[in-house]
Amino acid sequence: MNMDLESLINAKLEGEITPEQHARLEALLRDDWQARRRYLELADQHARLLRQPEVSTGRLGQASLITHKIRWQTYALVASAASIVLLAILAWPRQPTDKEATSDGVATISQTLDADFEGKSRRNGDTIAPGSLTLRKGLAQIEFFSGATLLVEGDAQIEIISAWEVRCHRGRVRVHVPPAAKGFLMHAPDVKLEDLGTEFALNVNGQDSAVHVFDGEVIAHKKDKAPASLKVGMTLASSAGKFSSQDFLPVGEMQDIIRQREKSRLQEWKSWAAGVSNDPRLISFYAFQHPSDDRWDRLVGNLAAPLDKKRAGGAVGAQWTQGRWPGKDALEFKRPGDRVRINLDGSYSALTLSCWVKVDSLDKKYNSLLLTDDYEAGEPHWQIYEDGSLMFSISYPAPGQGQVRKNNQIYYSKPVITADSLGRWHHLAVTYDNATGIVVQYFDGKEVGREVSGFHQPGRPIVFGPCELGNWGLPSKGHAFPIRTLNGSIDEFAIYHSALSPAEIQNLNQKGQPK
Amino acid sequence: MFAETPSSPENLVLLLSQHQESIFRYIYCLVPVEADARDIQQETSLALYRKWEQFDTSRPFLPWAFRFAYLQVQKYREKSARSPLTFAPDVLDLLASEREHVADHLDRRLQLLDGCLQKLPAPEIELVISRYARRESAETLMDRLHLSRRTLFRRLELLRQRLHDCVTRQLESEG
Repeated sequence: MNMDLESLINAKLEGEITPEQHARLEALLRDDWQARRRYLELADQHARLLRQPEVSTGRLGQASLITHKIRWQTYALVASAASIVLLAILAWPRQPTDKEATSDGVATISQTLDADFEGKSRRNGDTIAPGSLTLRKGLAQIEFFSGATLLVEGDAQIEIISAWEVRCHRGRVRVHVPPAAKGFLMHAPDVKLEDLGTEFALNVNGQDSAVHVFDGEVIAHKKDKAPASLKVGMTLASSAGKFSSQDFLPVGEMQDIIRQREKSRLQEWKSWAAGVSNDPRLISFYAFQHPSDDRWDRLVGNLAAPLDKKRAGGAVGAQWTQGRWPGKDALEFKRPGDRVRINLDGSYSALTLSCWVKVDSLDKKYNSLLLTDDYEAGEPHWQIYEDGSLMFSISYPAPGQGQVRKNNQIYYSKPVITADSLGRWHHLAVTYDNATGIVVQYFDGKEVGREVSGFHQPGRPIVFGPCELGNWGLPSKGHAFPIRTLNGSIDEFAIYHSALSPAEIQNLNQKGQPK
Repeated sequence: MFAETPSSPENLVLLLSQHQESIFRYIYCLVPVEADARDIQQETSLALYRKWEQFDTSRPFLPWAFRFAYLQVQKYREKSARSPLTFAPDVLDLLASEREHVADHLDRRLQLLDGCLQKLPAPEIELVISRYARRESAETLMDRLHLSRRTLFRRLELLRQRLHDCVTRQLESEG
């Protein structure tokens, strides 16, 4: 086939053609029916792909991702002549009515060990978009959406190109490719590795790279050389330098270190929690550490010293599950009845609420953290609003107006729970002082809202009474209760009768980090 | 609202929605600029609506619709006559009549195209999704894949060639 014709057609289809090239293309099309045939076939194929590429990735290929241009003047022109129904259909292509949420992520960080990333901090569960990723030290396991898994050891620099392609600039990596991700491409400075469903390690040092295959088969493409097949146990090094098995990243070791680390993390937390429970400012401190396997034991212990059994919580429905680390417990709230009942006596002049939460979905208008049963004068409500903002409020009915509650102090933070924060542990906190009226809200130790309500009057007391964590199920008699169950898990909940300082909140967040 | 005759507008709507892709492909071969092709298609739909009463329901719909589409392409061509990047009238004419001859052949090729898409290696599928389903611009793609403009278009060209070859091979094996 005429190469000139081929690239002219392609330039034409991509809209990249110059007037001179266009003239040349026209000349070829005039002279030769075969050229016309070729052009028609390629243009037709292009048209089809533009309309609907039927690729196996399912939803991705749907036309809903495409924004179409519509000419409104056409509507006006004929509106009088034709029925609306007819026009709606004539105006092809039909517009998708709602836009689906999209993400540019192609991989996720599944495990880390002492990992220190350059630039923005990253944690387990983070979604990664294409781009460069530098790991200064530690280990990180990255799972690509294609199914391939990459274990990276710092100091290393990689560049994520897509769910199917990655480039290693320097450092040691290990790649595991399940059959579903066959064809995964790994670029190194002087070689391109095509993975045929296997496990191999790569060590890149300057312009040199070495590959060792542990399992399966890898095709190595080198410049100016025929592709070479590497099988189990084979090593391919670019320079004369010798590589020993020490130069490749061992996987088993990482698992051992991680297990050890988890154990010591749990111990660390236990001694930290023992210290915190002596804080005299605590009203109650629920550590969410379940002592036994007894299914009848539904107690949610309050560790605040001196121990006050009256303030212990009782789990209803909610099931114990893994918390921030293996060995650490949490309660999972799913069904409309799930909750932890508590009853806190006393009247206070300030408060701090602090907890670790893993939100699975914000599927209700209000998603409960802590709510008092009623909403009487001085009672706080703490929840997550449907848009992902934290919402703290205290009820202060206007005097003499009974049920008309226009004077409630309501505070919203900016939205903090986003699609990317779902399914991950976050530290939430709020402080309130009834003298200043200042409410400060925190997300992962950072201030995300600071406000004084217009309804604030100094000195009004704060009270709790019967209340619950993760739900709001016992409102006034005779009313069907709105469903506000949290869809997620809680691990640790502390209630103080004092407004903690930003540094103290930051410290709570730091000490409780799920890593 | 509509009379129940063969030439009721409802019938036209049905035919149009059934054949919209064929009409788009026809127009696109003559005016391979997506937005313009879509506009021409809309004008064609309107023209068909206006002349619908003249349609002889005993005849096939598509050739009739193609004639209207061709007229709209010519109108478009007149409007943009000064552009050196639209096909000259004689080339349009040659392409349109060639296309009439090979319409069935093109249809058969498209049926095989879907199978060939499934067989593409993963990175190529990514490219198809990026370029066609997500309509990513050349700049975005160059940036993300770290390719020069030249290399990107070369890759797209190879991708299209690969698909074309795959379809041709399958056609040949069919005999």
